[in-house]
This record gives sequence, C-alpha cells and structure tokens, in this order.
Amino acid sequence: MAKEINEQLLAEVVRKVLQETLSGKSESALPPKPSSGVRVSPQDYPLLFKKPEILRTPTGKRIDEVTLENVLNGKVAFEDLRITPEALEYQAQIAEACGKPQLALNLRRAAELTKIPDERLLEIYNALRPYRSSKEELLSIADELENKYGAKINAAFIREAAEVYEKRRILKGMRPFEL
Amino acid sequence: MVAINEELVRKVVAEVLAEVLSERKASSTFSAPSATSSQVANMKLVEVGPAKKGTDPREVVIGISPGFGTVFHETIVGVPHSEVLRQVIAGIEEEGLKARVVKVYPLCDVGFIGKIAANLSGSGVGIGILSRGTAVIHHKDLPPLGNLELFPQAPLLDAEVFRSIGRNAAKYAKGEHPTPVPTRNDPMARPRYQGLAALLHNKEARYVDESKPPMEVKVEFLK
Amino acid sequence: MAERKRSKRFEVLEARPVHKDGFIAEWPEVGLVAIDSPNDPVPSIKIENGKVVEMDGKRREEFDMIDQFIADYAIDLSVAEEAMAKSELELAKMLVDVNCPAEEVRRIFGGLTPAKLTAVMKHLNIVEIMMAMQKMRVRKTPKNQAHVTSATDNPVLLACDAAEAALRGFVEIETTVAVNRYAPLNALSLLIGGQVGRPGVMSQDALEESFELKIGMRGLTAYAETVSVYGTERVFLDGDDTPWSKAFLASCYASRGMKMRFTSGTGSEVQMGAAEGKSMLYLEARCILVTKGAGVQGLQNGSISCIGVPGAVPDGLRVVAAENLLTMACGLEVASGNDQTFSHSDLRRCARTIPQLFPGTDLIFSGYSAVPNYDNMFAGSNWDIEDVDDYLAIQRDFKVDGGLRPVTEEEVIAVRNKAARALQAVYEELGFPPITDEEVEIATYAHGSKDMPPRNVAEDLKAADRLLNEGITAVDIVKALAKRGFRDVAEAILMMMKQRISGDYLQTSAWIDENGYVWSAVNDPNDYMGPGTGYRLSQERWEEIKNIPWAIKPEDV
Repeated sequence: MAKEINEQLLAEVVRKVLQETLSGKSESALPPKPSSGVRVSPQDYPLLFKKPEILRTPTGKRIDEVTLENVLNGKVAFEDLRITPEALEYQAQIAEACGKPQLALNLRRAAELTKIPDERLLEIYNALRPYRSSKEELLSIADELENKYGAKINAAFIREAAEVYEKRRILKGMRPFEL
Repeated sequence: MVAINEELVRKVVAEVLAEVLSERKASSTFSAPSATSSQVANMKLVEVGPAKKGTDPREVVIGISPGFGTVFHETIVGVPHSEVLRQVIAGIEEEGLKARVVKVYPLCDVGFIGKIAANLSGSGVGIGILSRGTAVIHHKDLPPLGNLELFPQAPLLDAEVFRSIGRNAAKYAKGEHPTPVPTRNDPMARPRYQGLAALLHNKEARYVDESKPPMEVKVEFLK
Repeated sequence: MAERKRSKRFEVLEARPVHKDGFIAEWPEVGLVAIDSPNDPVPSIKIENGKVVEMDGKRREEFDMIDQFIADYAIDLSVAEEAMAKSELELAKMLVDVNCPAEEVRRIFGGLTPAKLTAVMKHLNIVEIMMAMQKMRVRKTPKNQAHVTSATDNPVLLACDAAEAALRGFVEIETTVAVNRYAPLNALSLLIGGQVGRPGVMSQDALEESFELKIGMRGLTAYAETVSVYGTERVFLDGDDTPWSKAFLASCYASRGMKMRFTSGTGSEVQMGAAEGKSMLYLEARCILVTKGAGVQGLQNGSISCIGVPGAVPDGLRVVAAENLLTMACGLEVASGNDQTFSHSDLRRCARTIPQLFPGTDLIFSGYSAVPNYDNMFAGSNWDIEDVDDYLAIQRDFKVDGGLRPVTEEEVIAVRNKAARALQAVYEELGFPPITDEEVEIATYAHGSKDMPPRNVAEDLKAADRLLNEGITAVDIVKALAKRGFRDVAEAILMMMKQRISGDYLQTSAWIDENGYVWSAVNDPNDYMGPGTGYRLSQERWEEIKNIPWAIKPEDV
C-alpha cells in the first residue's frame, strides 16, 4: 500500500515539475494534449497490444492495416511506419506515471520534431554542435522551430543553448584555434 | 615490438612524477617548454612559422601532435618518430605528390589534428599522427570526428603501415578510391597498453597550447 | 655488473598472462585515479527561487555547461535538500537495505549531486554493490547484448553471425566497421541476419552520431547506443557535442520512433588528457546525470572502451561496478560494459564480469563478442564466442540467468544458412555484387573471416554508397525478401518497423520478444525486496539453462 501512495505522490511532483519546466505558469500550462484527448496509463502498456485502437500511422491508417500484404501492394509505404506526435504523447504520459519526468520531456520534445524533415533535423543537430553557429543563427533556428513547426519546447531549449554557448564561448568563431 | 613490462611502466611513472614535482617546485603555473627545434633520433624538426593554407592540389599535409619528435621520439611500441615521418612522406611521394608537415598545438586529439591538417592542405586531404602513433587520414569536408581511414590502435602500427597511410592519403588527394589500408586488430593491445597510453597522453597534453597556431615544420632527416 | 640471481618461483610468476597486463600507479594530479581524488569537489547544494545557485562547491556563475545542464535538468529540486542532508553512509545503507524499496532509493537519489553520488560509493564494498544492483536494476529480467563484426566486413558472414547471436539469446546486436564506408552494408546484414535468428532482435551500427541517425531513419537499424557523453567540458567539446546538442539528438531519435541510449564510462576523460584532476567516478557521475537530464532512457557504461585505464589502477574494477550501480540508482537502463578486452589473464577476465553477471543487469554485456575476437572490430570484447560454452556452464553452475541459452549445432547451421540465403536474395534484388552459393556454404559453416574467400571490396563499397544515396529503406528490404520467398523474415522486419508507430520500446529498458511484444521497466519492473522477490528463474528457463547439450545423461551411460 505504501508503494501506491508513493507513486501517487511522485506523479503529483512530476506533474508540478513539468508544468514549471514547460512554461513557468501553472494549471493551464499542461503540455498540449493529443487531438484525440485520450489519456493512457502504464496499465495500457504496451500500446501496440493493449491499445492498438488508439494508434494511427502518420497518414491516418490503423495498426491492423499495417500488414505485409498492404506493404507489397503499395497501400502502406515507408512513410506510414513512423511515430506520430500523439503516440509520443501517450508514451510521455506513461513515462510520467512511472516517475520519469525527464524522459517524458524528451518524448514531448520528440513529438514536436516529428514534422521536421529528416534532412533539416540533421542540419539542426549539426548546428547545435560546438563552434558551428552564431548566436543569431541559433536564435533563428529557434524561431523557425516555433513559427514553422509549433515546436515551442525545442525553441526554448535552443534559445537556452544559445545563451549557454555564448557564456561558455562555443559559438561560431570562438574556437581558440582555427579549424 | 618492444615489450612493455612493469619495470618500464614504473620508469615512466617515476619520470613523469619527477617532472611534475620539479615543475611544481619551479613555478606554480606550468608553461610548455619551447620546442622550436629539436634534434634527436636522426631527425631535426625546424619550425619556420605559422602554417599557411596550401593552394597546391598535389600536396598532402601531415599534422603532428604537440610533443611529436620533440618531447617524444618514438611511438608506444618504439617506432622512431623519424621513421614514422620518413615512411609517411615516402608513401605520399611514391604517388607523385608532395608532403608538408605542420605541428598542431591547440590540442592533441587525432581526429582534430587530422582535420586541421586537411583544412591546411591544398588537396583537402590531411593526415593526423599522435606521438603514441595513433593516426587518421582526414578530409576537409568531413566532420572532425569523421575520417577517410582511422588507425586507432597505435601498438599495431609499424613502418609498413605508416607508408601505406601516406600512399593512400595521396591517392585520395588524386581523387582515387584506394582500397583501405588493411586493418590490423589485436584485441590484447588494450590490456597491455591502454593504461600506459593514458599516462603518455596526459604527459603530451601538457604541451598543448590553445593560443599557438599550427606551425609549418621543416623536417631534416639525419644519418 | 653481475647478473642478479633470479628466483625460479618469480620467473614462473612473471611468465603468467597477468604480467602482460599494464598496471599503473595512481596519478591524481591528472585524474589517473579511480575514486577519491583530492581534487574532487565536496558535495553541496544551494537552491534559491527554484534554481540551483550552488552545486558541489561551485557558484552558479562559475558553472561550466555540464554543471548547468545537471543542475537545471537532472536534479529533482523537490527532494534535493532532504537528500543532500543525509549522510553518505545512510545513503549507502539504503542501497543495500532489502526493506527499502527501489523507488524510495530512486526518489532520494534523484536529489543528489555528482559529488554526493560519488561519495556514497566509497562506503560500499563489491559485494554490497552487487546486492544493490540486484535491487536497483530497473527491469526485472536481465538480458544480454552481442557484438557482431568482421575484420573484413564480410556481409555474408555478418548475416550468419547475427542470426546465430539472436538464436543464442542476445536481445540486442551491435556492429561497427573495419572500413567506414562498409557501414550501411553491415547494418543491412545485421537487420536481415538478426530477424532470421529471432524476430524482435534489435540491431545497431556504432558510428559517427549523425550517420547513425541517418541509417536509423531508414529503418536499417532499430536503435542507437554510441552516443557519447563525457564528464568534463573540454572532453565533451572534443567529442564534438554539448549536453544540449546531445539532448536534441536524443529527441531526434525518439521523433523517429527509435530507441537510444547514451554511452560513457570511467577513464575516458583521463584517456583524452583532460580530466581536470578529478577522479574517474566523479566524472562518470556527471555523465550519468547528463544522461538523465537529457531524458534518455538508458546508458551504456562500465568504462567501455577505456577499461584498460580503470583496469590498470587500484580499486578500478570495483569502481566500474559502482558506475553501473549509480546508473540504476538514477533510474536508467544500464548496458553494463564487459564489452572490451582488458586483461590477458582468464582469471581477471572472469572476475571482472561477476559483479554484473551474478546480480544481473539490463544488458550484462554491451556487448559479448558473438564472433571470435580477431573479428571483433570494437578491438575485442572481454568474452568472445570461443568462451560461450564456459559462459553457459557458469549460468548452470550458479543457477544464474546470463541471458544466453544452449543451442545445438544443427540449429546454428540452419539459421546461419537461412540468413546467408536471405541476404543473397536481397543483394540480387537490389543489384548488389552477387553473393555466390559457395560463399553461402562457407559462411554457414565458418567460424570467422579467416575462413571466408575475399570479396571485391571496391564493388561492395559502391553498393554501400548506393544503399545510402538511393534512399533504400527497410520497406525495400521487406519487399525484396517477400518476393524471394522469405516471407517470415519480411514479416519480422515489418514487425520491427511497426514498433516505431507505437513507440513502446522508447520506455526504459525495453526489449522485444519474438511476438513483437515489448518488455520494459514499465511492465516488468524490478520488485526485489529480499529472498523470494525480484527476478527468479522460471522452471522453463531453468530447464533451458540446465540442458547444455554436452552434459552426460544417466540414461545414456
């Protein structure tokens, strides 16, 4: 019994920390819910077996449509075999309920990144490596993420990185030697 | 191969400790000893000034680490640094290209040294070599930790391998796609040498000078 | 000088394998010390207005990027003051107390700083560390990972060895290259071979970070592990990343529905000459907290490729076990090393593995060389395929689950042959350099690359470039396999791709069974609280472990 109380308490704390982390505001600052509004718990895990009905491919197909036949006849393509922001939000809820707020936050950052094309995503990662970007370049990536893809958490994360990189002198041109 | 035994390790440790202790006595801040010229083990390295970016597409730049040939004179398995350079240069010249040697001071990471050499190279191809022997063939368009060919296991690199490294680097510079130098693999090199490698690396790391640009080096082989 | 008269006893001792190992005295000034460097900071924390303003003796304005990332993302401020107020001895006792549940330990440890975590480890001896691991490992069932590589990057042999590794019970298989440009082909061999051996096995290709992500996006790998973090700012930058870029990379993987873990390990910073005089364990504690802060589900540590460094200094291998334990105490999956040669001595090799094997970890090895060590392109693992019957015997001797199962020669030959033929078919469908029937036959029965005829490397590398440049994905592989009659293998790869839609294996410590069912810390949490609890061998599993094929049965005599 003591165990259950612990989990509840933990979930409370997690929720609070997340709210603070995400916005600095309270109550209304819960992360965006999936459009379906479904909430899941660890009892629904693994979703592929216990809640397949709530899963969709990025093109809206149901899990039971993802069959070898449909791959061979072209109805299911590589583009279907990707995760959706909704599925990442479900996994974030499960992680949160398991007392893992950082993992949940990572999954929510990921949910925002699903819409960004592979090539652009790799470019942004490389731009975040040390000595690659000026502060302006990082801030403009943050704006792009926020305005073009609605990626608010990532935008804030990159703005924070820009500050840290400036303080620690690891922006473009700050390398103590020429490379 | 020179066998590394406990005795040798003790010797190196004692040497390093003595050095550290004497430095402490001498001054509280450590300054890298000037290493503008040195003459040991049949080779003289003369620094002729800051290295410039090359324009000759038929050159390969060899980047050497801060202590190479000056503080240290042989690789972890005893290949003399003079022999290392001699072979790499010969390999490059065999392919009809020119070699240029630069000493890289700001760090002693083989990937970065290779990358800096590649950036300075007119052909865009560079080689990086650490004192302990670890080597890389790099290209200016690759990320610092990427490579054309990497030779991470210093204890397995002998004169023949160094010559092949020079040869292949030259071939890349000519736009060819050479068969990579056959990789040697001795799983027991780590247990024998890794602790020692860490020790040597920390010794060499003390000659890193972040503010000093890569220096053009004239190599004179003596008989 | 007269020659010293030698003791025959000492001459015999000096000829023993252990004398080929490098042993190094401590050098704390540069951080060549396993734990307890005089330069390690004194644990402390100060919180004002919901922000850490001092950590381990450093004020916020003095923080380097690692300090700041840990303070802002990893440490649970709601518990930090309570946790930091506890004595290190009390915290150490919590780890081994069977009456103190793992989640309570993790709640408190969530508030500890790197220096405090390190200091706690000073109070535990190796047996206590093992007791604590048994409780703190996040997933109840221990598993294992294999290395599958080839000195010649021979694609056929890689597919066969991947299949055999999967059959032997490894839940993850990891490859890397002898020649960098072979990487895409190696990934393909592991994907196909792995699914032939056992559907659900996860494969990865350890390479440069952005390349790994790229081939993962194509579905050619299922997860990534070689995403390295370091304990000093200098070395982190030399690794060409920051905590922010690495955390972003972690989210990139999750955004494509791919599992990933970070990698770190004691000794890497001193190996790279920039440990700032700090002990190996203190720097590793920072890596663990960076990983947690990034929201990554797990970590590969236990010194990993730098094992020769802690292996050479006093107390090194206890500390390597301690870093695994700290990872568990921080709620992360641990792939616990044992994956690199570190000794010539068979006795030391075995002793080094016991602290992870007996209590069990999420992945006891990261990994075990499923090929002979001469083919191991991670420069050799602590155990290789030639040791595998010893390993099976040890599982049986001690009734311990090391994640492997006995197999028969017939089964192994069958899966190797099928893997080779499946790869042959896919190469033909893709127009890659042909795999001959002779190669299939030799690889089926081979032990290592020395048994294989050479391939045309230049032609293979062109195919590797094509695989990358033409955007070939796992779906193309599924189609090729189905067309050529390998429907079951096609179904298995499709099942792996389906995992990306649900993301179930993004949770902590996930592996996938042959039905595509994901097991992780969510649905298989470790509930150890003393005898009778936690992981116990099922009767079925015990029968499997018991029945090594070469044991003499009474009825046979």
